[in-house]
Amino acid sequence: MSTRKKVKEEGGLKPAADVQLGMLAGGIAHDLNTIITTIYGYSEMALESIGNSPEAELNIRRIIGAADRAKMLTGQLLDLSRRTSHEKVPVRVAAVLSETIDFIRPSVPEGIRIMSRIAAADAYLSAVPAQLFRIFINLIINAIQAMSGKGGTLTVTLGYIEGSDEIISGELHRDLLIRFTDTGKGMDEATASRIFKPFVTVGRENGTGLGLMVVSDAVKELGGTVTVSSAAGTGSTFELIIPGAFFGTLPEKY
Amino acid sequence: MAGVMIVEDDAALRELLRDTLEKRKYTVITAADGREALAKFRPSVVDVVVTDLLMPEEDGLMVIMKIRELKPATRLIAISGGGMAGPGSYLLMASKLGADAVISKPFLPSELVQKVKELLG
Repeated sequence: MSTRKKVKEEGGLKPAADVQLGMLAGGIAHDLNTIITTIYGYSEMALESIGNSPEAELNIRRIIGAADRAKMLTGQLLDLSRRTSHEKVPVRVAAVLSETIDFIRPSVPEGIRIMSRIAAADAYLSAVPAQLFRIFINLIINAIQAMSGKGGTLTVTLGYIEGSDEIISGELHRDLLIRFTDTGKGMDEATASRIFKPFVTVGRENGTGLGLMVVSDAVKELGGTVTVSSAAGTGSTFELIIPGAFFGTLPEKY
Repeated sequence: MAGVMIVEDDAALRELLRDTLEKRKYTVITAADGREALAKFRPSVVDVVVTDLLMPEEDGLMVIMKIRELKPATRLIAISGGGMAGPGSYLLMASKLGADAVISKPFLPSELVQKVKELLG
């Protein structure tokens, strides 16, 4: 795939907007589906108790027909939210990372800094942009929550693993290494070993307890791994290794 | 007759499901969110729990996990109309956490009755 094509496709990506549109469409569909279930339910119940009244039966069947049309509409809404956020395209990882940081920056509490060190600015992955955004935003929110109250610094680094070079079909591929290091409250070994399971939270008041499970599932889908190293009181580092990154322009030595 | 717990934050749907199951002679307990469900579950005789997934307070995924721990023999049915990840994803997560059956909203109450019957054998 040519460099020009990659850049052109990336030009249309708005992962943050994609996720927001998906959430809006999904939220509306969710509420409507609950209401439609109630319409179906009472219509079904009315049909059972109506006795011999063809006119009333016809009217109830018309209500059910209208609910069927509403169900088709909510199905289309959910399709829309899936279409906008489930297509794999070449994504420049640094661009999504920067967009995620810009997206969260206005709501970062005072005393917390986010620094980024990008050493693989031209690395691409074949991925769903919104999915990458979800991975990054969950890890960043997790770090911010770990530092809330006392403040601190989150350092995000994007590089690649030395020695992971591989030529596939004439194109260079490398393993990406993305680190999120915070200076927050950290966690002990026992908590760190469970952290990617659902509903394990450090401090019950924070979050849904699903964020890191979402991260772990999404990274697995990309064929990568996520690990955490942490010590209570000194902060945590989440490390993602994702194979198969390719490059818009070949690095100098090639 | 078997006991069924309905966990649903939408009041109209909650009452519909209660009416539907009571007509089939099930003993029905209802709860408007996960926290209420767990509080009522402990002292009651419940064979089947039907739970929505997206709810305020404790959500349905938490209900599924906790009930699997408290009383593993309880049959669990997850119902969901979607949300940000689409209904498939939430229901898939519910299955992974231990739901015996999942139903996408909107559904006909007769479909739910059928599932309850099947799970009770």
